[in-house]
Amino acid sequence: MDIEQYIKELKDKFEGIEKIEVINKKRLMINIPRRLLMKIIEYWFNDLEYRYVIVSAMDSKEGYEIIYHFSDDKSGWIMNLNVLLPHDKPEIESITPIVYGAEWIEREIMDILGIKFIGHPKPERLFFSEDWPEGEYPYRRKIRQENR
Amino acid sequence: MGKKKIVPIGPYHPLLEEPEFFKLYCDGETVVDMEWETGYNHRGIEKICESKTFEQVFYVVERICGICSTSHPFAYANAVESIPGIEIPLRAKLIRSIVGELERVHSHLLWVGLAGHFIGYNTVFMWAWKYREPVLDMFEIITGNRNSYAMFTIGGVRRDIDDEKADMLQKVLDDVQKKTELLTGAVMDDPVLHARLKGVGVLTAKDIHDFGAVGPTARASGVDIDIRRDDPYAAYDLLDWKVITAEGGDVFAKAEVRLLETFESIKIISQCLKMLKKEKGDIKAKVKEIPEGIGIGRAEAPRGEVFHFVKSDGGNSPVRHKIRAPSYVCIPTFRKSCVGGTISDATLATAAVDPCYCCTERMTQAYDWKSGKQVMNATELIKLSQKKTEEIKAKMSEGKIRG
Repeated sequence: MDIEQYIKELKDKFEGIEKIEVINKKRLMINIPRRLLMKIIEYWFNDLEYRYVIVSAMDSKEGYEIIYHFSDDKSGWIMNLNVLLPHDKPEIESITPIVYGAEWIEREIMDILGIKFIGHPKPERLFFSEDWPEGEYPYRRKIRQENR
Repeated sequence: MGKKKIVPIGPYHPLLEEPEFFKLYCDGETVVDMEWETGYNHRGIEKICESKTFEQVFYVVERICGICSTSHPFAYANAVESIPGIEIPLRAKLIRSIVGELERVHSHLLWVGLAGHFIGYNTVFMWAWKYREPVLDMFEIITGNRNSYAMFTIGGVRRDIDDEKADMLQKVLDDVQKKTELLTGAVMDDPVLHARLKGVGVLTAKDIHDFGAVGPTARASGVDIDIRRDDPYAAYDLLDWKVITAEGGDVFAKAEVRLLETFESIKIISQCLKMLKKEKGDIKAKVKEIPEGIGIGRAEAPRGEVFHFVKSDGGNSPVRHKIRAPSYVCIPTFRKSCVGGTISDATLATAAVDPCYCCTERMTQAYDWKSGKQVMNATELIKLSQKKTEEIKAKMSEGKIRG
């Protein structure tokens, strides 16, 4: 796979991509604004038939980072989309209507980080029990710093 | 048309790797919808990893699953080593591949045995588990443990395999090969098994893509993916082996893929052992520190791709460690494979993607949706599945259906 060519194509196709970087061997990280998310996911999942792997989420200094991992099994590359959400407005569109398999992980991220996924078909708790206190999110930075 | 009933499978069930709760909505015998609840066994491992050093995380992730206890360290090692770009010595690569493939052999044999039990073929269960036993003994000789091997470390492995052990292992493998051939022949040629397993719990290639399912579940539906070939790690790109796929997507195809994969694994180990005898060198590369960065590693576990995402800030422990086990994407496919089938097939379709069987607590009960009265328990559900096999056998002997 010609990665230089691929990066150029992506930049031409989707205007507004913030940064594209090869982080390690066969790993591409793409930072995008929220508005491009659904378009790229649709292009990857439906047109290029990349395999959905998982979504990671973390709380960093700048905001909540939601990282969508997709795998191109023909070339062995892992394509990662990184969307940064501000701390005061943790919400993003749900990709479950396109990628059916993402239903669980989006619910899990709701549990652990308190991100709101707009348009999720079943926005209920996945791992935490019903008596878990409202508004307690164990993966937030505040909790991490308290525990260190 | 009977009344719509709900059949709960779980939270503790012999078919499920960890406590999970499936609700089957049934109309008579047919499953019309399915729901799942999970989280009964959420241990917060990702969070625990954040408080351990990079070296200690190996022993934490090893305990995610008792059966594929090498695949998580494998993927984690690939992730962490990719941050500074460490190239591990060939000898370490070979030993890693040997442990990984031995695990596949024992895990697949375990699944075949249990699948045999659920359909009422206890002979298959006894055989498969008997042949699996020497593999576990070999694990003990090579690694010191039958499970949770603690073989991996950053930059290589912790124990060497000397020539004497290599010969022992080769001898055991030759024996396992012969016995598994016998078992495969018995399973593949049995007309009752063909009638019982074909067309049950079918997943199409589109279902696999929608859910992102991996491993033997995907390969049984004709989706040709295998991380060992597509994104090679350890010594897999140096060896001669092939990816097994099957068409059909049913339980039979999944059994076929797993049985044939066992032979490929044995082939891989034999090649590794030969190379190991020639290759004298270190088993561990020197690693100073893990710099700031992101590492993404994956490994092909017996059940499919394991995915680890590690973010380091230059300190001595990960700031974020995301783990995705194959069952996380394979379990939701139950919704496709069970709906439209009968309750007696649902048990089998749930078992077909091979969620591991660590948990020994068992509790499955069927309740009448309206009265709340218990109508079935776990033993009865398995019996229901076994009864169907008996019926097929009886019909076959009368000549009503053909295998």
